[in-house]
Amino acid sequence: MKIDTLFIDKAIQKDLEIDYLISKVNADPQWVENTQTIYDFINSDDDPILKAKKTLYVTQNKGAVIKECPGTSFYTCCDYTILYTGTFCTMDCSYCILQAYFHPPVLQYFAGLKKLGHTLEKTFRQNKIFRIGTGEYTDSLIWEKISLQPKFLIETFAKQNNCLLELKTKTVNIESLLHLDHNEKTIFSWSLNTPAIISSEEKGTASLKARFEAARRVESEGYKLAFHFDPIVIYPGCEVQYKKVVKQIFKYVRPESIVWISIGTFRFMPKLKQIIEKRFKHSTIPYGEFILGLDNKMRYFKPLRIKIYKEIISCIKEYAPNLLVYFCMEDQEVWEKCIGIFPEKEGELGHLLDKSAVTHCNLNSNLL
Amino acid sequence: MSDHLCEINVSDIDLADERYKILFSENDIEFLAQSFEETGLIYPPIVRPLNNKFIIISGFNRIRAHIHNNRAHNGEIKIVVYKTNANTTDYQCLLKSITAFAFKRRLTQAELIICTSRLHHFLDEKQIAKKSPAIFNTELSVRFIKDLLIVGDLPDPGLELIQTGNLSFKSSKKIAFFKKDTIKVFLEIFSRIHASNNKQLEIILYIMEIAARDDILPTEIFNNQEIQDILFDDKKETVIKTSLLRAYLFELRFPTVFKMRQMVLKKITSIKLGNKIKFLPPENLDSQTYSISFTAGTYEEFLSNVQNLNAGLEKKELKDIFNQ
Repeated sequence: MKIDTLFIDKAIQKDLEIDYLISKVNADPQWVENTQTIYDFINSDDDPILKAKKTLYVTQNKGAVIKECPGTSFYTCCDYTILYTGTFCTMDCSYCILQAYFHPPVLQYFAGLKKLGHTLEKTFRQNKIFRIGTGEYTDSLIWEKISLQPKFLIETFAKQNNCLLELKTKTVNIESLLHLDHNEKTIFSWSLNTPAIISSEEKGTASLKARFEAARRVESEGYKLAFHFDPIVIYPGCEVQYKKVVKQIFKYVRPESIVWISIGTFRFMPKLKQIIEKRFKHSTIPYGEFILGLDNKMRYFKPLRIKIYKEIISCIKEYAPNLLVYFCMEDQEVWEKCIGIFPEKEGELGHLLDKSAVTHCNLNSNLL
Repeated sequence: MSDHLCEINVSDIDLADERYKILFSENDIEFLAQSFEETGLIYPPIVRPLNNKFIIISGFNRIRAHIHNNRAHNGEIKIVVYKTNANTTDYQCLLKSITAFAFKRRLTQAELIICTSRLHHFLDEKQIAKKSPAIFNTELSVRFIKDLLIVGDLPDPGLELIQTGNLSFKSSKKIAFFKKDTIKVFLEIFSRIHASNNKQLEIILYIMEIAARDDILPTEIFNNQEIQDILFDDKKETVIKTSLLRAYLFELRFPTVFKMRQMVLKKITSIKLGNKIKFLPPENLDSQTYSISFTAGTYEEFLSNVQNLNAGLEKKELKDIFNQ
């Protein structure tokens, strides 16, 4: 989705970061006093969500810049840390939870690289391994085309050795980042899905082939990689299709370059269903065999989840037996039946991931 | 606009003209007729002169009851009525027909739908909402009026099903947006079962989701032999048909969940813990926690339950449940 409207918070000082952004966005900036103007503008449209994808609001992050991932106690969480650099996305995936998460959703870019740098400095000084990502509330690399932020982050992380930066994306916006001095502290990670799901449910995203080609290019520049099969969508014949995607990973990149692969089946807050039905009339993904999970999200019936997980994991293990594969929000039974272990203790999964991060990204192993 | 009281011949009333009739179905007029015998006609019907005849605006049952009481008489039957002025408009007649009812008792939803649809020939939604206290003896919102109009467009027997309670207002609103053939399917289904509002909505939801998932039309699901056998079995009570239909639709919508639930329940039954012990699988089978409970009023009952539990311990089916 192309940004066609640009609002900038009047409280923002014009500087190199803002000038760069204005020069890249093909819309005249409108300086506004408060967010109500943006809410009114977005809500006046028949499809506020679509409108929000084309309306960029440049503002300051008035809340916490670094947050812990909001996992729930019912399923095992990976103890990830979120760097809050923006919200929402220009791509239009039918299943995207961000459509229902923000009221209304606003495509926000949090300006202020200096402030971001200062906050990160504090984290860099802690005696602890952090896996930090910007791809929780937005796509990490939609910003590469219009802002200096991804470049700034890679270069900032390169100067320390206890934090890893994960840039999670469905784009192939890597061009300006390829030749940076990253010091192995940045992982590029791609969300993967089958070509059928990408074409039917992931509007405006890069094709699977393009994602793999981009992965190969960043790998050749020494960057480490990660992949996320999330959300896995269950449909007739999906097992074969997902296994084909797994095979392709190893056709394009070396297993040693992959820090981890996460997998998780489609799950959603019940209210997302109505949004999908309204905005994506062709989509059949809400009509799977979902049950209400313990965290009040709709999840595929457990035997179905276990079946597809087993297929995908066994296929990954064929190519890369030592590669760390983990579940995003699954319970003991699923872990044990599909992976054979269960990181039962609090922080155990996080520790496994930290270990892989240390090994692959040359972080301080004394902090483990 | 005031009507005047007069006596007219019943034969001068065009009984076939029911353009102002709001009552949905023919009521039994036996008691009303008896009441007339006892007390006479207290509230005269309202009629409108039209083309040398009279048409009824209000009082269809009263006129029927009056005819019923006088059917044995030879010669002309006369009745006291309020006759509208010759210059009374269609709109005014319509208002009289509605208010005569609405200020006597609360209108049913089907009646509200009929009245609103008729009023909509003269007024828009906002005007109806504004005038609603004076016409309906209650305030109606613009949004509700819009809903009434949408539902009012349902083909037959939509209104009849709403009146009988076979189709809830929420369900009728839901199906009103579907294609004609799909609406027909649901009207056919709800003509043959009797379900609560939530169950109706569930049936609609499952059929629409199965159709979307399998890329078929709801008519194809309706024509499924099993569904036809359930719906068209006249020997079965409507309540039984409803539960059979719901169970079958659940199986179609959630085949794996259905199969697994059946399997677990079969295993639980085969352990034979006795009917005083409740052994329940986890909700949605998503957690691994089964619950077991029993009640005991005496020590003997308690002992018997514990013995039954002990006897079940070695059953293969019990182990299977936890190891599956």
